[in-house]
Amino acid sequence: MINNRLFKLKMMGKPGVTLFAFLLFATIHVSAKDYLVTDFGAKADGITLNTRTIQRAIDYISENGGGRLVFDAGNYVTGTIYLKSNVTLHLKYGATILGSTNPFDYVSDPKIKWVAMIFAVNQNNIGITGRGTINGRGFITANNLVNYIHRGIFKDELKYDRPREWRRPQNVYFRECTNVTITDITLRDPASWNQTYDQCKNLYVDNIYVDSKSYWNNDGIDIVDCDGVVLKNSYFDAADDVLCFKSHDANSICQNVVVENCIGRSSANGLKFGTVSRGGFRNFKIKNITIFDTFRSAITFAAVDGGIIENIEVDSVRSINTGNVIFLRIGDRWSKGKKPSMKNIRISNVYAEVPIGKPDAGYNYEGPVEDNPRNISPASIVGLPDYKIQDVKLKNIEIVYPGAGNPLYAYRGTSPADLDSIPEMPARYPEFSQWKELPAWGFYVRHAEGIEFENVILRAQKKDYRPAIVMDDVKGGSFKEVIFTEPESEGKKQIIQHNTEGVTVY
Amino acid sequence: MKVYKIIIINALLLWSFSLTAKEYKASLFGAVSDGITLNTGSIQYAIDYISENGGGRLVFYVGRYLTGSIQLKSNVVIELKEGAVLVAAPSIYDYDGPENRNALLWAEKQDSIGVVGKGVIEGQGTLVLESIKTQRKKGYLKENIGSLCPALIYMKGCNSITIEGINLREACGNVQFYNGCTLVSISNITTVSTSVENSQGILLSECDRVNLSDSFFDTSGKELSQAGASKNLSIVNNINKDGKKIR
Amino acid sequence: MEKLKIFVLLFTLLSCSKLWAADYNASIFGIKSNGTTLNTTAIQKAIDHIHEGGGGHLNFYVGRYLTGTIELKSDVHIILHEGAILVGSTNVYDYNIDSPYRSLVYAKNAENISITGLGVIDGQGRQLAYNVLDQVHKGILEDPLKYDRSAKYRPKGICFRECKNVKIEGITIKNAAEWVQMYDQCENLEINNITVDSKAFWNNDGLDIVDCKNVLVTNSFFDASDDAICFKSHDENKMCENVEVRNCVARSSANGIKFGTVTKGGYKNFKIINNKVYDTFRSAITIATPDGGVVDNILVDSLRAYNTGNAIYLRIGARWNKGRKGTMSNVTIRNLYAEIPASKPDAGYEYEGPVEDLPRNVSPASIVGLPGQYISNVTLSNIEIVYPGGSNPKYAFRGIKPSDLDGIPEMESAYPEFSQFKELPAWGFYVRHAQDIKFENVVLTAKEKEYRPAIVFDDVKGAAMSGMEYNSPGGGKKVHKYKSTGIIQKK
Repeated sequence: MINNRLFKLKMMGKPGVTLFAFLLFATIHVSAKDYLVTDFGAKADGITLNTRTIQRAIDYISENGGGRLVFDAGNYVTGTIYLKSNVTLHLKYGATILGSTNPFDYVSDPKIKWVAMIFAVNQNNIGITGRGTINGRGFITANNLVNYIHRGIFKDELKYDRPREWRRPQNVYFRECTNVTITDITLRDPASWNQTYDQCKNLYVDNIYVDSKSYWNNDGIDIVDCDGVVLKNSYFDAADDVLCFKSHDANSICQNVVVENCIGRSSANGLKFGTVSRGGFRNFKIKNITIFDTFRSAITFAAVDGGIIENIEVDSVRSINTGNVIFLRIGDRWSKGKKPSMKNIRISNVYAEVPIGKPDAGYNYEGPVEDNPRNISPASIVGLPDYKIQDVKLKNIEIVYPGAGNPLYAYRGTSPADLDSIPEMPARYPEFSQWKELPAWGFYVRHAEGIEFENVILRAQKKDYRPAIVMDDVKGGSFKEVIFTEPESEGKKQIIQHNTEGVTVY
Repeated sequence: MKVYKIIIINALLLWSFSLTAKEYKASLFGAVSDGITLNTGSIQYAIDYISENGGGRLVFYVGRYLTGSIQLKSNVVIELKEGAVLVAAPSIYDYDGPENRNALLWAEKQDSIGVVGKGVIEGQGTLVLESIKTQRKKGYLKENIGSLCPALIYMKGCNSITIEGINLREACGNVQFYNGCTLVSISNITTVSTSVENSQGILLSECDRVNLSDSFFDTSGKELSQAGASKNLSIVNNINKDGKKIR
Repeated sequence: MEKLKIFVLLFTLLSCSKLWAADYNASIFGIKSNGTTLNTTAIQKAIDHIHEGGGGHLNFYVGRYLTGTIELKSDVHIILHEGAILVGSTNVYDYNIDSPYRSLVYAKNAENISITGLGVIDGQGRQLAYNVLDQVHKGILEDPLKYDRSAKYRPKGICFRECKNVKIEGITIKNAAEWVQMYDQCENLEINNITVDSKAFWNNDGLDIVDCKNVLVTNSFFDASDDAICFKSHDENKMCENVEVRNCVARSSANGIKFGTVTKGGYKNFKIINNKVYDTFRSAITIATPDGGVVDNILVDSLRAYNTGNAIYLRIGARWNKGRKGTMSNVTIRNLYAEIPASKPDAGYEYEGPVEDLPRNVSPASIVGLPGQYISNVTLSNIEIVYPGGSNPKYAFRGIKPSDLDGIPEMESAYPEFSQFKELPAWGFYVRHAQDIKFENVVLTAKEKEYRPAIVFDDVKGAAMSGMEYNSPGGGKKVHKYKSTGIIQKK
């Protein structure tokens, strides 16, 4: 099995990736001894709170040479536990770790200042494996927490009438760990984000199933400032961003990441860099992902907090019934003097269908309905006047839009005055819809350098009042084999350039 | 004369305390009386909360409240109303205490604390002992049995402790242990702890001003024993199951 | 020929009337069986529709039917077919909480109503009770929280008031937030073959029959975290009368069969026949009149009690009697067998009966009136009670010296329980303030040595004892008489 994985990775070609992947597999699971959690007295009855027993088992295994703590089929209730070095939680098929529904059974880690069911801090060679389930029962826990807040015995400001994210337990939070393996498990129903890997090295996630829509802010996976990540063959359904990379630390960076064969559904974004993006993101290779029934963008890369984004390769994306396809954005939100940048982005082999209706309608926690008349938004590449997005290449792209932009409903024209009136919004939370109506139906590009489109097909299913592409303040670029289809559009000028130089349209 | 003084001081303390003590019902913190929900987290949160908010009484009404180790904090008194039972968790791993000494209810360097009322603390000694033995047999616990067995109450370096009226039952280790405490008042309690060998009723070590009165003991170990020398003891009107006076 | 004609006509009419009772499936009214759709208004519409249309059956087939309070109306018959579960909402505001009859299924002044079938009514009472508590802690509902639980807002399961011709058959009733079923001032009530699982929360009586007339309870099973089969009288101008309970089995963390506690009017003409009580904290049978009610003509025949804390407790008190004097007379208990354990008989139940703060050795069966208010004409025949014995006078002591016996308080206003006096001076029977008591063929066994006599009579006027048998290691005193007259002991 391990050899097989290694083989596949080598085939991917990048020497750097192969190297860290090799290091990853060379170090874990050398001599795993198995311990049954029930041997320590844990009860799989779905009632007994096993926190202390599981903790003791983990401590014991870690102190005695490491091994796997095995959960046979059954329901194991627990509050907060800490995973320790050389211990793998192995959940057999039918085994479920159930989060306690009592918020007081969880602790806020003093360093991370966040609440979780399974923590690991500064540990090496750890993992959660097997075909079992981690079920946070977060809907009940979050609502119980709301009750305690209303009773006046627990302090929280209840933003949007819900407790803040960091006070609600998430399922897994690993911080500064090395050689982390998460395979085969199902992670479901946290009260907050589902799983966070923060400043970890060598993280391997394979074949997991994530159902994360039990409460608000239920991200599918958050990978923060990690170095050396393989994430593949996994399925995500989340009430917030699905495949989410973040950078919380201005001195760290999320880098050397492979994402492969993942499918995601989200009431926010599919693949997302940010929102918190202090250090940045570097050397990503993302291949073969499918995003469907997703409220916001299939791909959002946001550098809004002074971080960098560079050397990102995205290959083979299907985006079906998703509100937006590509959103690249430099902002200036929490930069604190650092200069954000985004360069060398390659996106190729994309097929996308954007619907006219709300793509995540009917989900329990669907994305917030916005108050605005806005026709369907284009894919967007938007830097800032002082921070341009550089070297973006889009190749073999087909996007099917509904079109039907109606100027009586919402209007943004293409006159210089209209285009200049689009606000920069540098400090605003970055979303594809932040400008409300945009002047193009296919692509809107602003404050960018070196934009290459090759074999890009943009289809509007109904006539739209806007052109397909609007460029504003673009320096250098080429448009090769760019095809537009739109009913009743004969003679329509589909590409508008404003303040733009050196762009060749073939 | 000295004893008399102590009693007066204690009475004054109690009186002044009960005047100001705010009452918190256990259910406010989500404690559940069904005998199967482990309430450690809720009870500990309650104690911390009450201690941080000026002190008061945490009141348990009729029902069975399963719990692991809880740590008493300054100015918090647990009141067990008649019919309320604090039921000790059966797993040894649910216990902790100062200096690796396990106890169900413990405190270290706290002032003005107590457990009062007509309710019960049920130690489930047999079950806890079984858990210890099993875990030792499997090699997961190395310490000797005696040092693992949780006491029901262990107070270390505390000042002004009131234990009044309650029923203490079936400890795995000793029932109560006071170590380096001052102003300890224990009255009107009923202790029955015979299911595990050598369970001592009260163990005192280097305490000062201890008042034990009007209590009944049926224990497998000594009813009252002293490790380090204590001073200013008043032991009045206490008997064991054979009707013998305890001194 | 003419006869045949009439017969045919009658037959046709009969079968028509059967057909006439129209059948409705729940789904016609948009009632959903998915367990998450709240069906309150749809079920109510169904009941109203059937009621207004002259009555009929409302059929629920397999599935979970979530609902809040529904009101059953005349001539509407709910049939819960096997697998159908009427599931109570856990949101307190889905119930008629401002009514004194707050409950999941409610009826008032209805006639010809029934709930039958092999289905279930599940009140989800534990979650509901904790949600009520939550509303109180948040200050939305006002409730003094007696014993740290809501006293005012917990809904019952079934609550019928002033209804006639009521039938409950076949179903399982479980998990109410309070009493699981109460029938108050109903007439012609038939309960047959039901299963009651009432341990979801505190005060979960199994069956409460209050001031009803003509009641038949048969072939049913009760498991309750309070009294299991319970008769009450809430109204001093009413009575519970003509009641028969047959072939039932009960488990309780309070009393198995109980008359009271609230006993304002009283009880008359009862037959309690061939029932079993087991794993029960308090008495197999308690008959109490602390609130001025009349107890008259009660027959208890063939009651067997296993692992039950006490066998018999008859008690006159003066609690809420407001000057009225409770009476108890003509009580016959025969063919009773009871085994009393040394330890707590309901240990291990989630809401076991309250552990009492008292040193008390095992209590005797007791018949305790008040000075001048004698319990009269009680016949105990063919009785066998097996006690654990082994009382320890060092643990708790009550002697038989005059000062000891007079030291037992009357406690007329206390809540009547067999254990209320703490230590009693007898191990088998304690009889006080009673007259005309007959003991026939009574066998009392203590398995271990007792420091107390078997029977103590205190202020008893007339007791005839025959065929008595006392078994206890080391013998010991059998009968102690104090301030009593006319105690006749035959062979």
